[in-house]
Amino acid sequence: MTDTVVKINDLVKRYGDLIALDHFDLEIKQGEIFGLLGPNGSGKTTTINCLLSLLSFDKGRIEIFGREMTPVSYDIKKDIGIIMQNVAVFDELSVYENIDYFCGLYIKDKEKRRQYVDEAIKFVGLEDFTKFHPKKLSGGLLRRLNIACGIAHKPKLIILDEPTVAVDPQSRNRILEGIQDLNRNGATIIYTSHYMEEVEQICTRIAIMDKGKKAAEGTKDELKRMIKNTETITIEILDLPDKVRKQIASLDHIYDTGFENGKLTVYCSGGKHNLLRVLDVLQKNELSFGRVYTELPTLNDVFLEITGTALRDKED
Amino acid sequence: MQVFKAMMKVTRRWLPSALVYIIVFVVISIFASSSSTKENKFEVTKLDICVFDRDDTPESHALIELIGKNNNLKHLEDDKDVIIDALYYGRVDYALIINEGYAEKLGNGETADLFGSYHIDESFSIVYINQFLEQYTSSVKAYLAMGKPLSEAVASAENVLTQESEVDMFRGNDEGNEHFSVAFSSYFLFMPYILISAVFVVICQVLVVMNRKDLRFRTNCSCIKNTSYSMQLCLGSVAFVMTVWLFLMVVGAFLNKEMYSGRAWLAVLNSFIFSLVVAAIAVLVSCFEPKQNVLNLITQVIGLGMCFLCGVFIPASMLGDNVIAISRFLPAYWYVKANSMIAETEPYSFDSVMQCYMIQLSFAAAMVVLALLVRRVKYSGAAISTSVKKIAANS
Ligand SMILES: Nc1ncnc2c1ncn2[C@@H]1O[C@H](COP(=O)(O)OP(=O)(O)O)[C@@H](O)[C@H]1O
Ligand SMILES: [Mg+2]
Repeated sequence: MTDTVVKINDLVKRYGDLIALDHFDLEIKQGEIFGLLGPNGSGKTTTINCLLSLLSFDKGRIEIFGREMTPVSYDIKKDIGIIMQNVAVFDELSVYENIDYFCGLYIKDKEKRRQYVDEAIKFVGLEDFTKFHPKKLSGGLLRRLNIACGIAHKPKLIILDEPTVAVDPQSRNRILEGIQDLNRNGATIIYTSHYMEEVEQICTRIAIMDKGKKAAEGTKDELKRMIKNTETITIEILDLPDKVRKQIASLDHIYDTGFENGKLTVYCSGGKHNLLRVLDVLQKNELSFGRVYTELPTLNDVFLEITGTALRDKED
Repeated sequence: MQVFKAMMKVTRRWLPSALVYIIVFVVISIFASSSSTKENKFEVTKLDICVFDRDDTPESHALIELIGKNNNLKHLEDDKDVIIDALYYGRVDYALIINEGYAEKLGNGETADLFGSYHIDESFSIVYINQFLEQYTSSVKAYLAMGKPLSEAVASAENVLTQESEVDMFRGNDEGNEHFSVAFSSYFLFMPYILISAVFVVICQVLVVMNRKDLRFRTNCSCIKNTSYSMQLCLGSVAFVMTVWLFLMVVGAFLNKEMYSGRAWLAVLNSFIFSLVVAAIAVLVSCFEPKQNVLNLITQVIGLGMCFLCGVFIPASMLGDNVIAISRFLPAYWYVKANSMIAETEPYSFDSVMQCYMIQLSFAAAMVVLALLVRRVKYSGAAISTSVKKIAANS
């Protein structure tokens, strides 16, 4: 048995003329929390649906647990848990009945199932709501129910497609912690999102998707090392003569500057003490400045540099 | 049986809307069966009619003979005062004048100014005879339009109307035939409507929920086989239809104690088969995943439309030939036909009843096949079709 859980080879999926997945490759190892990061419409859901054989695809091969995945691979399906992008539960069934139904599609044994369902309810913290119907739950609780339905049967591979969309911060944190718990208990996780903070927070490895292609892949440190930006300095300053700005831009390790709305932005690539050297220039020109802060690169910078567009701008 | 169980739970949530229909139906049936044992029910009374034939042709003679079959013909002097006197003292209910040129006009398909009449008030009897004449002449006209010569058209119209008056007499008759009580017959007659409006709505709703795309996706990710899923849905639909049907049978037995005897069992079987048809229609309609309001509309159209066209509300013989030609393509027509044969409002023949059963069953089968096809087409982009292809390739 290899430790590769998911292997996607040269996957092509078209919707009519639209190429949703363009020769997409992916390999996910046992025990990872793998993040699939990309703006809306980049093909994350399509990838998941192809992976699960819910969609037929034009080209490529998908292996899960070292075996080819087909719509009738029930021995593979039994070890997969899926949390869909949209909350997929029965409005007519209570919280408990919903979890019991989806768990029952995998676990036939009644006694075992009851135990599993109770554990899932406890896991997502819905103990007080077991008799509620989904319509009566808030968005955050509904998402938690959605998750409970997907994980109650204790799958080895758990796929979460944007599980935190429209969720309050409290529920969101609880969900993220829960995912890490599941991972500690031995499950491999695939997590898609267009929120880079989340992906940065929990994922051990990340693939950045754009327009159906894999733009980059690696741990978050590896990804950040791929780009030249290592530090972004922002300085509040009322007036900045062009002469001074040119001086700053000509410093070593500084590859770009910007000045807008009383804020000077300095982009650095490598080097040490960049901030001190910039402040030095300002002081020498007797310019007074306000707040100063520096940021390390985020995945947004990575995304920006790799695809040329910002991740945030594409939200909704 | 996980899917089946979930389906039953979903059904429970939709049950109240079905119960309303069922209760209304049962209440109406109770009312109908109690009123049929009393006097105040619809009855065709024989009228005392005197006819003045100013046309004196074979056609006018035929009409007089027809009127005479269901009414008492009286003879009076053709004098206005005498006639009004007779009407006033109640010696006749109605004086009909067949105008000169009646046969000629009728032959040309004209129906205006064929008759004149004397009568006192607009009682039920007057309305009845006017309607009778209207029907007669328009039937003749219809047969003429179909290319029959006048003599044949007259004969055919006569046929249609005598059949209908037999139905009327039957309905007005307390006894029914020896095999089957009248109240029970009408209980069965209205059942298609209740099955469609109550059962059909619920099953469609439930199937729409069970086939919701996101839920199906989630279910398809699990170990349950597609065929097993579909089978459980069919089973659930049939189970629900059967429950309601059984309930209606038990209530029917309470309302009419001696009904489960002799030929009535054929009517029971007939309604059972129709229940299956309703379930099949529901399976088909649910494939299109209608929204709630669209579904209500569809139910109205299918329920009321089919019941009207096929003689649930009005006897089939009162419907025009062209309507019957259409309604032959509807399962309710064959249900009603079998029902009337069993009740002997139409000549009874065991083979014909069986034929009606078979036709209804074929309808049900056709619906299911159609439903499968629709589903194939709808999900052709999805893995369900690939799985079918793959299975086909493997075998
Ligand atoms: N059923 C479909 N038919 C046609 N186009 C689709 C369909 N589903 C998704 N798409 C298109 O495919 C692209 C990828 O969509 P999706 O996988 O849902 O992106 P993501 O999940 O990353 O937001 C989008 O451009 C979307 O419009
Ligand atoms: Mg998506």
